[in-house]
Amino acid sequence: MIDNPYLPIKTEVLDVIEESPTIKTFSLKPEVSLNFKAGQFIEMSIPGKGEAPFTPSSSPHEKDKLEVTIMKAGRITAMIHDLKKGDTVGLRGPYGKEYPLSEYEGKEILLVGGGVGLAPLRALFLALVHDIEKYKSVLFCCGSRTPSDIIYKDCVLDKWQNLDNKKIEVRVTVDRKDDSWKGKVGLVTTTLDKLEINLKNSVSIVCGPPIMMKFATFKLLEVGYKPEQIYLSMEKNMSCGIGKCGHCRLGNFYACKDGPVFRYDKISHIHEIWD
Amino acid sequence: MNSYFINKPNLDRLVKSLSKVYKIFAPVKSDNNRFYKKVGEDGLGESVIGEVRAVEPIKGFYFPARTKIAEYFSSKGYSDEKERPVAIIGAKSCDLVSFKVMDYVYRQEPFRDPLYALKREKGLVISSDCTLYGETCFCVAIDIMPYPLEGFDINLSGLDSGYIAEIGSGKGEKIVRDYFKLFQGAEPYIERRNTNRKKLKEDLSEHVKKSGIPQKDSIQAAFKSKFDSSLWEEVSKTCVECGACNMICPACHCFILMDQKRENGFERLRMWDSCLLMSFARVAGGANPRKLLAHRMRNRFDKKFNFFQDTIGRFGCTGCGRCIEACPGKIDIREVLSRLKG
Repeated sequence: MIDNPYLPIKTEVLDVIEESPTIKTFSLKPEVSLNFKAGQFIEMSIPGKGEAPFTPSSSPHEKDKLEVTIMKAGRITAMIHDLKKGDTVGLRGPYGKEYPLSEYEGKEILLVGGGVGLAPLRALFLALVHDIEKYKSVLFCCGSRTPSDIIYKDCVLDKWQNLDNKKIEVRVTVDRKDDSWKGKVGLVTTTLDKLEINLKNSVSIVCGPPIMMKFATFKLLEVGYKPEQIYLSMEKNMSCGIGKCGHCRLGNFYACKDGPVFRYDKISHIHEIWD
Repeated sequence: MNSYFINKPNLDRLVKSLSKVYKIFAPVKSDNNRFYKKVGEDGLGESVIGEVRAVEPIKGFYFPARTKIAEYFSSKGYSDEKERPVAIIGAKSCDLVSFKVMDYVYRQEPFRDPLYALKREKGLVISSDCTLYGETCFCVAIDIMPYPLEGFDINLSGLDSGYIAEIGSGKGEKIVRDYFKLFQGAEPYIERRNTNRKKLKEDLSEHVKKSGIPQKDSIQAAFKSKFDSSLWEEVSKTCVECGACNMICPACHCFILMDQKRENGFERLRMWDSCLLMSFARVAGGANPRKLLAHRMRNRFDKKFNFFQDTIGRFGCTGCGRCIEACPGKIDIREVLSRLKG
């Protein structure tokens, strides 16, 4: 048999966690471990129905299973949302370029995430926390539309707030509050107003919906980050995941093989990046 | 590379022999067009080796329009390994140039496309010089000659009584060695071939001149300068988004994966896709960087004359003019290129 990059690996759905009315996290156990790095993505398929790309949200140090957090947004994701514990799906990957962790060593790291864009950042956050001694500090700013839209509630509202490590801080904000909300209200960009960070020794990583990525990036530039200190996870239509099918072209790059993680200075000249 | 002469009866014998190993396809004329047909058992039969390119590109032999690419969750996997390899006879220079694009995309590591790679490795390409040009041909305008210079196993240059067979690869050399008695020295014929080539190149250059295509080296910069121009909106006015230009293009390589259920498992199909279609770049939730047809039209030229120039140092266009013939909206790539000027 020839080595076939289009062949999915049989994978068991171990658990389904409801994160918000439109977002679920799926815990998956592939027959063969995928060994992804934070920021890389996988292609997940509903057998006989179709496939879509997602970035795992669990710690890359967890080898025998992985989690993907998926918003119900289209045909495939609607089918994925119907999955139950014990169902079979297909996985391919990991593909693409990961977050360059070695470039982040010794630095003050700022993560800015919005909505389901927190998913790749959770994998990154967990990878950073795993080796926290290598980094100066980690500040994770999480934005959601409303309190009920917050994903990983037990982490962002509880566990990560009490990590007992002065190097780590997690800020949570919602665009619109409800009666139960005691926390901060405002777009995630407002959490970037008073940063106690030495910008010269910092990197920022942004992931979220296109509009949020755009304004977060502009805000980071405004507070003094240079384009080469900003990393973005770009979402594009991907079919093959391996730089062949042509769908995810972004200027002279393919998001699937040259990204999905890009340093902003490398792509800032490209039309279409925020669309 | 070495060249030999092979007369017509001997070429027929060679083809008959090769048909025991290969599935052989060659252009066969129908009205005034040429289409690839299976030949071989009776030699070359009706096929025309010289003349001009066929209606369809040869990409379909290596990368079919719709093909099963994986069977999954069944133990047997899937491969094309047992299939008889394909030999193309009579492919033209523009066809061979398209391999530069296809090979870059599909044989690129670390994720080689196994089916394409296998077909390329096992296949045989016997190309030929053009002896005519078609109305839409414009290869010479982008510095591609109407006769093959590389990318073939053997190239045939048609002369009155036979062909000069130029060897272009180890595979081609082995064939000549294996059937050496069918070949003779090419020396007496070389000058005649060179004269023919020169004449056709000059005639085609003259024909292409009236299209006003900018100089090859200025096309990329001209495209960039017209990125925000109203040109794209104007050009796309008659586009009906059928994707014919993509399907017929020898250098268009985009595809989409489709899954379906089978009796004993599932299969994944790979199907040609078109960047002119609205859904091409759309993501779940509806965001689409190319909602406007004008932007999708521009994207087609961006990919061909900007992206590929930067990535592999050549255009993703071979000057074959097939898209001009295929377009129901009469969009003419030569005219679009000419309008990049100024």
